[in-house]
Amino acid sequence: MSELESSLEVVRFAGELDISRRDEVTGALERAKAAPAILVDLSEVPYADSTVLAELLRFHAQAQANGRRIAVLIHSPQIARIMDYAGVSATFPVFDDRGAALTHLTGTNAT
Amino acid sequence: MRPLIVTVLALALVIPVLLAGGLIVRGYVRTSFHQEEEARAARALAFTSLRLQLDEETSVRGFAATGDRLYLEPYPNAHAIVPGTLARLSSALGTLGLPGAQAAARDALGTNALWERTVARPLMTGRARDPDALQRRGKRLVDHYRDDVRAIQDAIGVVEGRIDADAQTAIERIQLLGLAAVVALVALALGFWIQQTRAARRLAMREREAAEFRSAFEAEKRVADTLQEAFVLRSLPALAGMSFSATYLPATDEANVGGDWYDCLRLPRDRVLFVIGDVAGHGLDAAVAMNNARQELMSAAVFDAEPGELLVRVNAELLRQRARMVTAACGYADARSFEFSYATAGHPPPLLVEPGRAPRMLQHGGLPLGVLEGATYRTLRIQSVPGAVLVLYTDGVVEHSRDVLAGEAALLDAVGRAVASGMRDIAGSVANEIFKDRRVADDVAIMTVAFSCVDVRDGRSTASRAAGTPNVSGRTIA
Repeated sequence: MSELESSLEVVRFAGELDISRRDEVTGALERAKAAPAILVDLSEVPYADSTVLAELLRFHAQAQANGRRIAVLIHSPQIARIMDYAGVSATFPVFDDRGAALTHLTGTNAT
Repeated sequence: MRPLIVTVLALALVIPVLLAGGLIVRGYVRTSFHQEEEARAARALAFTSLRLQLDEETSVRGFAATGDRLYLEPYPNAHAIVPGTLARLSSALGTLGLPGAQAAARDALGTNALWERTVARPLMTGRARDPDALQRRGKRLVDHYRDDVRAIQDAIGVVEGRIDADAQTAIERIQLLGLAAVVALVALALGFWIQQTRAARRLAMREREAAEFRSAFEAEKRVADTLQEAFVLRSLPALAGMSFSATYLPATDEANVGGDWYDCLRLPRDRVLFVIGDVAGHGLDAAVAMNNARQELMSAAVFDAEPGELLVRVNAELLRQRARMVTAACGYADARSFEFSYATAGHPPPLLVEPGRAPRMLQHGGLPLGVLEGATYRTLRIQSVPGAVLVLYTDGVVEHSRDVLAGEAALLDAVGRAVASGMRDIAGSVANEIFKDRRVADDVAIMTVAFSCVDVRDGRSTASRAAGTPNVSGRTIA
């Protein structure tokens, strides 16, 4: 766990995320991209629009190409639904449980 | 407002400092004036004591030389007031803080008494055995007395010099304080002026910027509005066996001129291509991006491609152009087979109402367009029935409250009612119902594609011809 803590970068957002906060989101993700494992914590985000999800998608694709592990933590059913619109749910390691997200990031055999 | 506060604060600081300074200087002047008075009085008393002593001595000496009693006339008077005068002198010297001079005054008093007892009285009574020797002793005592008084006078002189110097310092301080007050007031006035000027300049600049921004914004909004109107005013196709309705509501907020669009294109063999989409963002850029995406979809449809393939092509093209993100749903409706085939890209799911069944959300999936290279889009097929209504819409329809789930429920409800009521303008009626008491936060577009209840293959299509006329509602119908 301690090894994970040291290599894990948590990007946390709070409040509604829409196009007006896109630069903030892009900047925060950009700063975290070098970490081997990245947890994008949206548990405090009640709403995120499609532009923000697009940023997450790009980030995820880039992270995958660079061999990084990424997990997205979501508590809001609204965001889950909007991610569903965006067709992201299937592509994206989305979790509503922090422990499961961390397990995914450690790479241990988690289902 | 701010410069005023700064000025008041500065005044609140400067005024007490000046007042306190003035009070200190005033106290200083008063003390030094008082001391000067004391010194003057002491000097007068010292002088008087010298004169009195001289009166006494000349009286005694004159009488001793001549024996004439007339000489003794001033003596009693002088003799009576010498001790009192010296006592007052001593007290004045104490006030002036001169203990040494005070001691000299006491010494002078003692010397005077000694002279009176051992010299003056023997000489005056004529009982002196050796008048000459007595005279010499008298002269020594008188000299001693005078030395004491002179020492006192010198001490007073030193004090007076110090008082003068203090007075000079006080005057210099008053001048300095006055100068400081003038400088402070000038600085204050200057600061106030600078701030006023700056504030005025800032205000003017802001007003200019606001005016520029307003006019730029208005110009852009005009162009974007025009483009948007041009896009959505296109008539819907008319063909047997199908009917259409569409509506577009611009965002209430003037800043949000959106990138929503819909298209419906008649194809051979009683088919139509339907497209609905939404370009991320607002304004002129979004309107232009929307037009690009739209052209791409329409021209890709010329190749009669599957909906999923259309989206793959458009995605590649948008990525090549580095265009904005676009969400879209597109597909074909076939009036002969009652089949819908469609694909979605990051877009809210299409909704289907079939006779005798509750409205339902269709399957969907696929990433938004213009985000990821190589994204794939699946073509989905629905074998439907006559009378079925496919409802396509943009996210503004369900995201008005940012509670998407509630938004979807409201939409399903509104669609169910509009279809059940049998009215032709389903899109307009749905929009009216949803937004009759809600703000249109984002652009809203709704389009419906319906199969007529009459089977076109039987040739009984008169009813559907009437229903197939373009039926555009909302702002666009004006």
